[in-house]
Amino acid sequence: MHVMIINGSPRVKKFSNTDMILKEFTKGMCENGTTFEQYEVSDREQWDDIRNAFISNQNILIALPLYVECIPGLLLEFLETLEPKNDGSKMAFILQSGFAEGIQLRCGEAYLEILAGKLGCEYMGTLVKGDNFSIRFMEGKQKERITVPYAAMGREFSACGNFRSEKCKKFTGPEIFPAPVRLLVRLVFNTLAKKSFARISEGLGCTRPLDYRPYS
Amino acid sequence: MVLIVNTTSDTSVTDELKKSLENRAAETEFIEAAPLKISHCIGCNHCWLKTPGECAIKDDYEIILKRIIHAEQLWVISDTALGFIDYKGKNIFDRIIPIMTMYLTFVGDQMRHVPRYEQKTDMGLIILGEADKDYLKRWIERAALNMGSRSLGVFERNELKEAVSCM
Repeated sequence: MHVMIINGSPRVKKFSNTDMILKEFTKGMCENGTTFEQYEVSDREQWDDIRNAFISNQNILIALPLYVECIPGLLLEFLETLEPKNDGSKMAFILQSGFAEGIQLRCGEAYLEILAGKLGCEYMGTLVKGDNFSIRFMEGKQKERITVPYAAMGREFSACGNFRSEKCKKFTGPEIFPAPVRLLVRLVFNTLAKKSFARISEGLGCTRPLDYRPYS
Repeated sequence: MVLIVNTTSDTSVTDELKKSLENRAAETEFIEAAPLKISHCIGCNHCWLKTPGECAIKDDYEIILKRIIHAEQLWVISDTALGFIDYKGKNIFDRIIPIMTMYLTFVGDQMRHVPRYEQKTDMGLIILGEADKDYLKRWIERAALNMGSRSLGVFERNELKEAVSCM
């Protein structure tokens, strides 16, 4: 199988969490001979090439971050330039987000099925996973803990050609956190997470509190 | 204040809305966004982590952002594409995230960003083309929920009276 992959993140490749996920996913996907070509929607100079690849490929995978419950505006802008295929092509998606619970991505996932139909492709499912916000700020083992599990999903996709298996469904994790876990996570939000965000913020040169109100 | 942002080049919709709303007590502001320069969100997260509350993209969206924080309602008039609002309409929502902070909490059983301002802005859609309306209703409800507000619904071009009744 040869897969055409579109990284639908509007963030430049260097800082793209979606790209870091794809790096691990494609490692697993290619273990048994599957090949791929990857394009970046964030680079408008690639748009003609992406359109041509969309026409000439039968297996299409779009990886994207959730933006306000659906697909990012830039990806939508690109996709609006495509003609529906209606040639038996297959389309699958990797949908990732910052929020950790599966329920946060279901509205976006529902649109991706509609989208595949509008683009004249057979919908092959969506790999859904949150808790990815901090990948780009991480290094080494901490980062690998989040990204490396995607390699197993790459192997699964290569074997099945879709994301419909139980393994893929389980990969999402909990739909919502149980109440005791929410209490614990809330504590982390108010302590460790705040410190971590403050550290990242200072590293970026920020001198204001993160809840600063510039317009009031 | 009711803020109505028209991302389409069809100003007859806003003309009609202005007429319908002229005798209303509620203050209404219109922004014709079609001639404005409004980029997509580039996902840099500077509005959360580097310049809190301020978008790194210096374009005309700032006009809208500065009004949203005073609006009880935000209505976006949008063309449609691929069963959804088109990218110009979606960009208005994607660029709204500076009104939220990086901080997280739980509201009910789900994670939410802590709002930056006290004003909660309910959100509605007026669409000028064909779309999957059931999906759009679900989407705008979900988007509003994430902003700590309510959906005002999704209305087609021939349902402006119904939309006005919600304003």
